[in-house]
Amino acid sequence: MALEVLLVEDSKTQAAQIKETLESVGLRVRIAYDGPDGIREAIENPPALVVLDVKLPSMDGFQVCRRLKRNPATQDIPVIMLTEKAGPQATMSGLRAGADDYIPKDIFASEHLINTLQELGILE
Amino acid sequence: MSDIRGPYHTRPPIMTVKVEDSMDIMIVRDTARRASSLLGFAPAHRAQLSSAAATLAELVLKTGEAHTIHLNGVIEGTRTGLQISSETPWLAGVSANNVLVALRSKLGDLVDEIILEGRETPVIIMVMWLDEAQSREAFDDGE
Repeated sequence: MALEVLLVEDSKTQAAQIKETLESVGLRVRIAYDGPDGIREAIENPPALVVLDVKLPSMDGFQVCRRLKRNPATQDIPVIMLTEKAGPQATMSGLRAGADDYIPKDIFASEHLINTLQELGILE
Repeated sequence: MSDIRGPYHTRPPIMTVKVEDSMDIMIVRDTARRASSLLGFAPAHRAQLSSAAATLAELVLKTGEAHTIHLNGVIEGTRTGLQISSETPWLAGVSANNVLVALRSKLGDLVDEIILEGRETPVIIMVMWLDEAQSREAFDDGE
């Protein structure tokens, strides 16, 4: 059975693009459109991986990541932050929040996302 | 390889990117990820290195002239790391201390070392080292 990824992304267009990338490598994708929903989904039905946008309504991706990593039920789930905020401070904030990788949304994003999934053992 | 400067021995991978426009910043970021992946850096460290490389590329681009960013493996003893460097002739005559303070303030903890080498044509050099166990593997692979 295909592993499931929880994608937390408020933009429906970007969510559809990322979903397509993840499904192209055989993963199932569930989408949450804001941080609180993402946390709830991760706790109630833990996925194999969380792909998390930084800019989210009501609670940003850094806060979501910190909460997931503090909760024993979700702390071992790898988190990849996929973001438009790619500067040094934002990168360090993402990694300090506990993200396993921090990938800018640029033309290479899909390739880097798939490489990281392989590194994390999500993909063979 | 002769263009590469710095206090450490060079080892593969050796990559260069000419930075001429904003698209090249993305290419530098991508190249840093590839180089650090080849050396065995973990995804989180690859994220740090790619962000550091992109920051250097942005700095270079602001001068309005094309410059080359070098990305290469380095060895010191049994330690292996990734070095990111670029000549910065516009910094000739500027206090090295002031440059380093500004760079450290901008780059924070993204890399382990930031060095400014040379007076006539200064080179900004940034290095991140693999931890000891990873270094041993990379060192063995490189031999």
